[in-house]
Amino acid sequence: MTALTSARTKRRIAPYLFVAPFVAVFLAFSIYPLIFTARLSFTNWRGFGAAEWVGWDNYTYLLGNAGFWSSLGNSSVLWMLIIPVQLVLALLAAVLLNNSKLRLRGFYRVAFIVPFVTPLVAIAQIWVVVFDQNYGAVNGLLNIIGLPDVGWLTTSEWSKPTLALLFIWKTTGFIVLILLSGLQSIDASVYEAASLDGASPARKLWSMTVPLLRRTIMFAVILQTLAVFQMFAEPFVVTQGGPYGSTTTAGYYLYNHITRADLGTGAANSFLLVIIVMALSLVFVRLLRAKD
Amino acid sequence: MQQHQPRRPAPIRRVLVLGLAASLVLGVTACGPSINEPSADADGARLQAPSDKSPSGEITIWDRSGDLFEVFDAAIADFNEVYPDITVNHEAVDIDAKLQNTLITGTDVPDGVFLDDAKVAGLADSLWDVSDVLAPYVDDIAEQKIDVNSINGGVYGVPYDSNPGLLYYNAAALEAAGVDPTQIETYDDLLEAAREYQAAVPGSQPIHLEQSAYLGQLQLEMYASQLGTSVADAEGELRLDSPEYEQILTFLDTVQKDGLGTRAEYLNPTDIAQLESGSQVFYPWAIWFSFATQQLLPETAGDWRAMPLPAWEDGGAQSGAMGGSSFVLPRDGENSELAWLFYEFLMFDEAGYTAVWGPNDVYPAGLNTSIPSYGPAADPAAPLFGPVPELGNQDLWAVATAASSEIPPAVPTPSWWAGAVDYLGNNLQRMLDGEMTPQEVLKTSSTDITSNLIDRQ
Amino acid sequence: MSTSTLTQPTFQSVAATPTPPTRSRPRPAIASQLFLALLTIGFLAPVFWALLSAFKPANEIIRSPLSFDPSTFNLDNYLAMFHDVPIGSGFLNTGIVLLIKGAITLFFAPLAAFAFAKYNFAAKNLIFGTVLITLMLPTIVLIIPLLLEMKELGWVNTYQALILPGAIDAFAIFWMRQVISAVPDELLDAARVDGCGEFGIFWRVVLPVIRPGLAGLAVLTIMNIYNDFVWPVVIASSDQMATLQVVLSTLAQNITGNRIGADYATVTGELLAASSVALIPLLVLFIALQRHFINGILAGSVKG
Repeated sequence: MTALTSARTKRRIAPYLFVAPFVAVFLAFSIYPLIFTARLSFTNWRGFGAAEWVGWDNYTYLLGNAGFWSSLGNSSVLWMLIIPVQLVLALLAAVLLNNSKLRLRGFYRVAFIVPFVTPLVAIAQIWVVVFDQNYGAVNGLLNIIGLPDVGWLTTSEWSKPTLALLFIWKTTGFIVLILLSGLQSIDASVYEAASLDGASPARKLWSMTVPLLRRTIMFAVILQTLAVFQMFAEPFVVTQGGPYGSTTTAGYYLYNHITRADLGTGAANSFLLVIIVMALSLVFVRLLRAKD
Repeated sequence: MQQHQPRRPAPIRRVLVLGLAASLVLGVTACGPSINEPSADADGARLQAPSDKSPSGEITIWDRSGDLFEVFDAAIADFNEVYPDITVNHEAVDIDAKLQNTLITGTDVPDGVFLDDAKVAGLADSLWDVSDVLAPYVDDIAEQKIDVNSINGGVYGVPYDSNPGLLYYNAAALEAAGVDPTQIETYDDLLEAAREYQAAVPGSQPIHLEQSAYLGQLQLEMYASQLGTSVADAEGELRLDSPEYEQILTFLDTVQKDGLGTRAEYLNPTDIAQLESGSQVFYPWAIWFSFATQQLLPETAGDWRAMPLPAWEDGGAQSGAMGGSSFVLPRDGENSELAWLFYEFLMFDEAGYTAVWGPNDVYPAGLNTSIPSYGPAADPAAPLFGPVPELGNQDLWAVATAASSEIPPAVPTPSWWAGAVDYLGNNLQRMLDGEMTPQEVLKTSSTDITSNLIDRQ
Repeated sequence: MSTSTLTQPTFQSVAATPTPPTRSRPRPAIASQLFLALLTIGFLAPVFWALLSAFKPANEIIRSPLSFDPSTFNLDNYLAMFHDVPIGSGFLNTGIVLLIKGAITLFFAPLAAFAFAKYNFAAKNLIFGTVLITLMLPTIVLIIPLLLEMKELGWVNTYQALILPGAIDAFAIFWMRQVISAVPDELLDAARVDGCGEFGIFWRVVLPVIRPGLAGLAVLTIMNIYNDFVWPVVIASSDQMATLQVVLSTLAQNITGNRIGADYATVTGELLAASSVALIPLLVLFIALQRHFINGILAGSVKG
């Protein structure tokens, strides 16, 4: 009896011990600066001198500012360009890579990760060159099949797809990885039953794998939503937010405030972003529930 | 089909709302860290030279990586011959990413930093006023360089280089087409020469039109500098909507409308190809374009020459400043006065400036992408770097020092200058796209810069 | 429903499921190889471009970026890069941070996530909600507050400043909670009946079962630490403390973000050389981990 009680006590205490190291680090290096940032968002502090309390001024400025909304618009368009394409590619690749009999499986797995670990600045060089309007390889190919030159990096219409491609290139391997870890926890017996039914691979993918992977897919979508809205390095190295601010993503717009030492507005901007991303995530979670 | 339901976690929405509420409550209640307030005592911020006869100590100097870093690095040995007891800790760092944060937090602050002129004003609060130590030299320094570093009567940077705008032109191509570049004295003449060249070489696009919003705005400021103006006056008041700017924009608009320009980003593949093919033959740019002729244009190497910029009207100034850097000394540096000795040596001592611009290991023919801003160093009769073979052995030193002396007085660059690219820089590109008139560019940009940048200071 | 047990690698996963032979069998195999090969070419081509270009004369990288003439290949960019930047100490520092920060994250994140997924305790939802908020907060906005904090602690230019902020990060908690939630409770209860302590359950039951997820987290953690530069650039200001990415960003500043220095070409060459050098150890690490990664996945599979 006492042994049972002490086991129960241990079970009650254990979670506190388990989360303690995390909570310590979290409080010290996330919450403490977070509080600072929250306060900063109500000031006009520029890094030097005293901070003046300005109330909701930074927030109202941003909400009434065309640049803020267009940065959100740009990120939304990028989201639509990136997420569907990336999900389809990653899903197909993950399903294929999950086959232990696949030849070159190990090679593909490593190959897909390579973009994620290649320094972006090195790749920015090739992007600018390949998508040059007059001498780039892509337009060269288009010309061969009789299509006109496209201003990939110089027009607001095409700069987003060009940037989206870079992002897809950079991060798809990571999504493949996540989907793979989800696939591996699916029970094989489910498939055996389906195979006996003679279902085609495509049908199996759509009507079995996708529903089974629902949680993992949603997880990947939420992660990529965060990443797309916070995206900053890609436009920074390739387009500097241009042309005409068409690739000024939400993350890049925020970065601009901070480099201009407008720290209060930057802080307010990041909290507005949190709310928007949170709202989007809730929409996805609801979609996920609706499918249940 | 999850066969094992885990203990259902709380609905994600509730969890999120809880978290947000917690962070807001914590944020608004004043239990966070306090914002530190560095002393902003302007009077006590004038740097004095050390009185010690043989000063000693250690200084940390930040520079951008690259060739210039190597040049400065090599000059340290020369410096130590004069000041053997000062140890220079020379570091290549990402200055844009690091300096502002370092100054704000006041941690491990370097004693001296290489900085764009355009960024000095924004950081002046945490820099030493060097006007006292600079006093013996100030009369000999290019006026424009002192001006850009002067804020409220103080001088916040030790001027490094002068970057006069020059007109680079493909002399061989022009000669073959029968166009005489020596006749170009004003921008109207330049337009005329471009038309002549285009008539001789059909399909050519003779004049460079910058397509990068940032560099386009930088070049616009070069043109403005020629006219003695800039986006903001000494008090930081916007003065964009002026006849000077309208004249410049109308010129650029004409080049575009009449099909006389190559629209490309500085030295991107299109730009290089147009330069090498003889289609683009006029490049009004800062002196540092000389590196392109030396490294990136082998096919037309030797064909290029430089001359002072055309004037906006007869007898007007034939150059304007485009870019340029200075050395700043953060107030929180430990041995700022020793760092001053280092910069004093580099810029105002013959051994110093000869080590920088003269022939050295990195640049065997000398550093010819800028000239000194210190008069005695920039003596037209005593070139520090030699003739440039890629410019047909032209004496670039003579051209540049003459142009530099033409640059009109200036004012400091406002701290929001780079931010203005979103408005002025972009609108300039829209004009070159044919979507805006020069007047619209100036009106719209003024309104937007005022409400988004100046009013938010 | 059987009580879940750890199984030997007896089952075959999704596409490998034994199927009755059908006529169309070889075609999907070719199609999948084709698809994967195309994707791989797309992923690797830019990297090969960078690796090869690093051997070209620096000005040729800018002038004719897409042509390669092996007769002009040389090591100048590498020599210049090794001479100009402290890439050796960059590797050392990145290695140290990787080892310590990686170990901390890979142990403590699943541990905390285990508590979030499988226990009830006071303030659980509050803490987890805050975790989600910080996950959504762009990290760049925290840089200056963190830097001020480091100054108070006297940690500027120290390893602890490079290691502790961002260790056990919110994302790792979020992901691991997701993974551990899927571990059947029956498995834990069975272990309890066998007399396993709570930590024993984590160590001997949960960790082995979630090995695929853990392997994924390991890969991601390694990559994130390796790629991180925003924080290291500001906190590690001395050459002795610079990580690999700090070294790279020092080079890159001259050619990105509107910066076109007069040494545009030489710096581009050095940057590509440095990027190539930076890529290689990580590739080797992944290739070495590859076998382990797959083994881990098979050993860890759970049969329902």
